[in-house]
Amino acid sequence: MSAILQAHHVEKYYGNRNNLTKALDGISFDVDAGEFMGVMGASGSGKTTLLNCISTIDTATSGQILIGGVDVTAMHAKALAKFRREELGFIFQDFNLLDTLTAYENIALALTILDTPHREIDRRTQDAARILGISDVLKKYPYQMSGGQRQRVASARAIVTEPSLVLADEPTGALDSKSARMLLERFEHLVEQRNATILMVTHDAFSASYCNRILFIRDGKLFHELVRGGASRKQFFDRIIEVISLLGGDANDII
Amino acid sequence: MTSFKLALRNVKKSFRDYAIYFLTLTFGVCIFFVFNSIESQQAIMDLTNGQMGILRLLNNVMTTFSVFVSVILGALILYANRFLIRRRKKEFGIYMTLGMEKGAMSRILVSETILVGLISLGVGTAMGVLLSQGMALVTAGLLGAEIGHFEFIFSSAAMWKTVICFGAVFLLTLIFNVFMVQKQNLIDLIYADRKNETFKTPKLFLSVFLFIVAAVLLGGAYFLVSGDGVFGVQTLGVAIVLGVVGTFLFFFSLSGFFLKLLQQNKRVYLKGLNMFVLRQINSKINTTYISMTMVCLMLFISISTLSSGIGVAKGLAESMEKNIPFDAGFLVNAGFTKDGETVRDYPGVDLIRAAKEGGADLSGFAKTYWTTRYYKADGNADMDRELSDMGPRFMKLSDFNTILKNRGVDPIALAPGQFAIDSGFDNEAYVEKLTALAGRAPTIRVGGEKLKTDASLLFQYALYVTQNSGMSPTLIVPDALLDGARPAADVLHIIYKGEGREYDTQCREALKGLPLPSGVERSLETGASVRETSSTATTTIAYLAIYLGIVFLITSAAILAISQLSETSDNISRYGLLRKIGTDERMIHRALFTQILIFFGVPLALALVHAVVGISMVNRVTGMLGTGSILAGSLFMALIMLIVYGGYFFATYLGSKNMLDREYARIE
Repeated sequence: MSAILQAHHVEKYYGNRNNLTKALDGISFDVDAGEFMGVMGASGSGKTTLLNCISTIDTATSGQILIGGVDVTAMHAKALAKFRREELGFIFQDFNLLDTLTAYENIALALTILDTPHREIDRRTQDAARILGISDVLKKYPYQMSGGQRQRVASARAIVTEPSLVLADEPTGALDSKSARMLLERFEHLVEQRNATILMVTHDAFSASYCNRILFIRDGKLFHELVRGGASRKQFFDRIIEVISLLGGDANDII
Repeated sequence: MTSFKLALRNVKKSFRDYAIYFLTLTFGVCIFFVFNSIESQQAIMDLTNGQMGILRLLNNVMTTFSVFVSVILGALILYANRFLIRRRKKEFGIYMTLGMEKGAMSRILVSETILVGLISLGVGTAMGVLLSQGMALVTAGLLGAEIGHFEFIFSSAAMWKTVICFGAVFLLTLIFNVFMVQKQNLIDLIYADRKNETFKTPKLFLSVFLFIVAAVLLGGAYFLVSGDGVFGVQTLGVAIVLGVVGTFLFFFSLSGFFLKLLQQNKRVYLKGLNMFVLRQINSKINTTYISMTMVCLMLFISISTLSSGIGVAKGLAESMEKNIPFDAGFLVNAGFTKDGETVRDYPGVDLIRAAKEGGADLSGFAKTYWTTRYYKADGNADMDRELSDMGPRFMKLSDFNTILKNRGVDPIALAPGQFAIDSGFDNEAYVEKLTALAGRAPTIRVGGEKLKTDASLLFQYALYVTQNSGMSPTLIVPDALLDGARPAADVLHIIYKGEGREYDTQCREALKGLPLPSGVERSLETGASVRETSSTATTTIAYLAIYLGIVFLITSAAILAISQLSETSDNISRYGLLRKIGTDERMIHRALFTQILIFFGVPLALALVHAVVGISMVNRVTGMLGTGSILAGSLFMALIMLIVYGGYFFATYLGSKNMLDREYARIE
């Protein structure tokens, strides 16, 4: 399989020479097409900074980030917006749906800003909604839906453009366990059936146990890597817990 | 003094975001001051007693309307203030969490209100003082007064009026603000920026239904006032009520209607950010339709007063000029008896002989003078009814030709059995009526002979100097037919030896003591006296139109600007999301532009339609406006609209765009 995302020695520094914070301290890794990759770490470990750099919302101080073979660290602001809407899909912790639009319109929005023909918009929106199991709430406004439904609408919006890479920032953070499980099963389904590539940042071991591979970050550095391989979800979960206890600190993250 | 310092910093900080509010306030004060300073402008003019009177009248009219204007501006200030306070709830929440007492917070707000009030009053008055220097020249021009000498004009009366009116408004704002702070809870303040995610919009099919109702109501209102002929106050009242309700429903249902309409057309709806913009507008309709209706009606008033006011003033001035064929006209006719209804018998007066008897030396100031006699001829009841309430007056052909000769016009001739009509007044509607009448070739009976006329024998000359030519035509018939007729009035026409006020004074002096038979009415009108009356009317109408028009215009534009700016800052997170999912900067700016354009454009468009219907109605009823003056008025209105309304529109767009870009730069 080819690498969708390649990160080479990515560094992100804040502050000045006298007071330097290394949020990312030389991180390198690859994500292959069709992978469901997790990034874990305690608060302040740099995982959100990493996600922001990959998602082109933030710029790295040095190093290279290649998405689909294109170096996003060398792109101009205008090209970045185009790149974001064509190659990336975003899922945020707080859903970030437009409250004035219905579910259908929220999903379709990702396509309308790409100037997609309207017939195709309808077909692809319905299709994405079916995959995420939200076909029956398409006419509703966000405030009429449950948190789980909202997050699945947001996920549908992220995948409807068929991006090379879906970036999910704590997608289960605001969900109850039942909704979280449902969402994660949909993610698995997307990866298996649609060959989608998902990079998910989380500090929840349960959510992480759905991934194929997990990177652990501490103090801006790659600390450990876990590959699920043939293990069951339960076995994988136990191994994640072991690593977290090694990472130390965030006792609250252990379920 | 910490609360004052805090207030000072707050004002400085918010100045950038609410520059529009400060400017409107300042501009409002300035306009108010300028139009209240008219009386003091006399300082630089050489005025006659009559012109003095006009200026005083003008000042009284302006003062009266200023009360109304200060109510409007006061409402605007309260409205804007409510927005500014709402934006700052979070800030007050922080003060309260830090343990600041409500009393201290009130002190901050009071200081702020006073500061803003003082600054805008100070700057506005200063601008007003400067502007009133220039306006004095315009006033002098309109009154036909001469500029005696230049001096710096400062109207302390205007200053006091401005300070009192706006002081009262700021005091009201202050009380409102303190009251606001007192009843706030900390929890509401802290979570003030959490948007309420549940919003209710009217059901779409209801919108479509209401939109149709609105269209029917507006159509009905337009139909009522566009009907032919004269209509009563009652019809007008019904039309106004229909119009207001229709406008209200129009804005209530408009966005829903268009949403429904465009949703049917997926090609448009699912293109770029169209969907977002429409939903955005639709979601705001619950809070905006009342203010949109107000804005639309105010724009309607503004457009109507600006365009027709200037038009009427211009038309009036032009038609007045036509009423001055010569330098002076001394008219004597029958007075009314004591009961005020029956007209006395008029014996007829030879005015030139009367002048000699009275010792008036006409040739002392007159280059030319002659008399004309008007006659009565009974027995033309049909014609009387059709032509005027007063009944037509008759004139000998030779007298008519003398008048024409002195006006430098070729004399006319009448074929046997013909008569001519002079409307004496070029009111379009009236001339139209007379033309129609002449076209029917009516006959009259004078001195035992039957006479006919036709459309080629209709003239529109003013026959003597008069204030009001009225709608009373003169019928011109061959001399011999009027030999035995009863006289109706006599006129002494005078052309002075030259220009200058001294002739006018001499003329008035000479004709004052003319011995006349008892029971006879006299009136002397000179070019100067007619122009004076005319300039009273034109100046008053023009100034009032500009005053009210501009106040309504800036009020409505400022309401839109403030509500749209506040709308943008409410929407920062929504636009931020669009950016995150990769929407082009250009596309976002275009969406913002479209949204603001719709909010500014739709009320203006409806107001323009209202105004076209309204102005043509007024024109048809009063016949005041010629085509030329409508054009001049409309151009003037369009220019002011373009500058003021267009200015507010672009300021709002740029302000909103900067707000978004600034926020975006902060996130980056």
